[in-house]
Amino acid sequence: MAINPHITARRRRNVILYLISIAVLSVWAFPVIWAIVVSLKSETEVLAYPPNLFFRPTLDNYSDALFGSFSIVQSFITSFVISALTTVLTIIFAVPAAYAFARLKLRGKKVIGFYTLVTQMIPPVGLVIPYFLILNRIGWLDTYQGMVTVFLTFSLPFAIWLLVSYMEDIPQEMEEAAYLDKASRFQTLWHIILPQVRGGIAVTVIFVFLNAWNEFLFAVQLGGNTVRPVTVAMYNFVSVEQTLWAKLSAAALIAMLPMIIIGIVAQKQIVKGLTVGAVKGGGRR
Amino acid sequence: MPAVTKRLFDKEQNFAMLLVAPAVVILLATTTLPLAFLIWNSFHSINLAMPFMNGFIGFENYRTMLHDGEFWHSLGLTAIYTASTVIMQLVIGLGLALLVMQIPAGQWLFRIVAILPIVLAPVVVGLFWRTLMLAPNFGIVDFMTRALGFDAVNWLGSTTPALVSVILIHTWQWTPFAFLVLLASLASLPPDVYEAARIDRASAWRRFIHITLPLLRPAIVIVVIMRSMIALSAFAAIFAATGGGPGTATEILNLYAYRTSFVKLDFGYGSALAVALLLITLVVSSVLFVIRTARTR
Repeated sequence: MAINPHITARRRRNVILYLISIAVLSVWAFPVIWAIVVSLKSETEVLAYPPNLFFRPTLDNYSDALFGSFSIVQSFITSFVISALTTVLTIIFAVPAAYAFARLKLRGKKVIGFYTLVTQMIPPVGLVIPYFLILNRIGWLDTYQGMVTVFLTFSLPFAIWLLVSYMEDIPQEMEEAAYLDKASRFQTLWHIILPQVRGGIAVTVIFVFLNAWNEFLFAVQLGGNTVRPVTVAMYNFVSVEQTLWAKLSAAALIAMLPMIIIGIVAQKQIVKGLTVGAVKGGGRR
Repeated sequence: MPAVTKRLFDKEQNFAMLLVAPAVVILLATTTLPLAFLIWNSFHSINLAMPFMNGFIGFENYRTMLHDGEFWHSLGLTAIYTASTVIMQLVIGLGLALLVMQIPAGQWLFRIVAILPIVLAPVVVGLFWRTLMLAPNFGIVDFMTRALGFDAVNWLGSTTPALVSVILIHTWQWTPFAFLVLLASLASLPPDVYEAARIDRASAWRRFIHITLPLLRPAIVIVVIMRSMIALSAFAAIFAATGGGPGTATEILNLYAYRTSFVKLDFGYGSALAVALLLITLVVSSVLFVIRTARTR
């Protein structure tokens, strides 16, 4: 039987497609994979040039990053506290506001909505300068309340708009049925709407937590010895210990581990959150 | 609940106000108030190194800016950085999304790997590239360029390579965003349009130009808007990789405003620079939004 030329052509095309794709995939995965490799080396092996791939892996760097003199455990806890507080406060204030924007009649809605959108566009450096002067004056530099307040500036507008796009998807009939049953507006929001947007709230929680965990500019300038999240700890580590790169890799991987886990586990939700505005064309935004 | 309060809340307008008010009050207090303070400060001399000079100086900071070579230099870098990173993210992201759509199996692997750079803190990305990837005599990129027979390049230590490096680092981290958004939009396009075009024997290129691209336009414009905003205020990755250096070779306006305030302690002029960045951000976003509404109509 003669080989169908169409099939060979398609097969060749598929091979090329896969090769290009694998090349791109490795470019994205490589720095993280390489960091893992380096984190398993001893400091002397790290400096070997050309880099050697055959070595006896050690977990020393990890135990050092956890329990050694540069332990990042305290920073890890700090990051967690700040991110969790930011997330809780953001959700408490964003959910009601998003509901009103998406589903209720409200005079001045356009103006308020536009205002919320514009607040999102302020470059962080334009906030960190006045905040430094303000927090310095009221003694809130290097405090949790100061940090969380500042983090609300980027998390709240973002969360409101993300939630609005989820709330808009709920069918109108659900609310109408609730009102026919003489449910109050608050009951309707609590018992009918909230269960419907559970998925949207989960996506919002993930994004707000992630952004808070990864924030650096506010943290480095408005934090200090008491409030020092992992991002700042990593930066300081490199400034102080110029060449302890195996330890840096181990510490950075520990610091990023929650984010990497969230990324892989909640991959679908994150992509949905990224695309919700783009695919729908952004609704009326 | 007392009957009066109940009736008050059940009026739609009142209830909506009640729900919106806390968020708006917080936004006023946490964003608008500091912003007003920033603008106010930009009309003052506030130098923590020379406090005896402090006071109201009108437009003096802005006048200084017009004749400040470093300002214009950082503005130029901001334009180069923003334009090149956004264009590269869009072109590579779109190309890859089209490619992956053709792949019969294994798309999930792309989604997982593409999430990796996105979830990493930009400061950690900057540190990884500065040490593991680009460091002379150590980084893997340095190793590869030499293994391929090129001269060693001090990627972050010389002017042009440093700028190229920070642009590539940003592109590396955020292209997955464009890729994932465009992949999702591609997947949500109606397949029957393609079928019709295929029956008409339209070439792949013509299908792309006349069908795919117009359908993707809303997603593309959103990607460009969001990525431009982020690129204009990029900070942590550059700060960690080069600190704006060598010299001021990678000091975009954002970093210049930062250094002026927190290193030179000239908060008045730093505020004016931040106001300039804010205005640029608003102009760019308005232009992009106008393009968007004009096209969707």
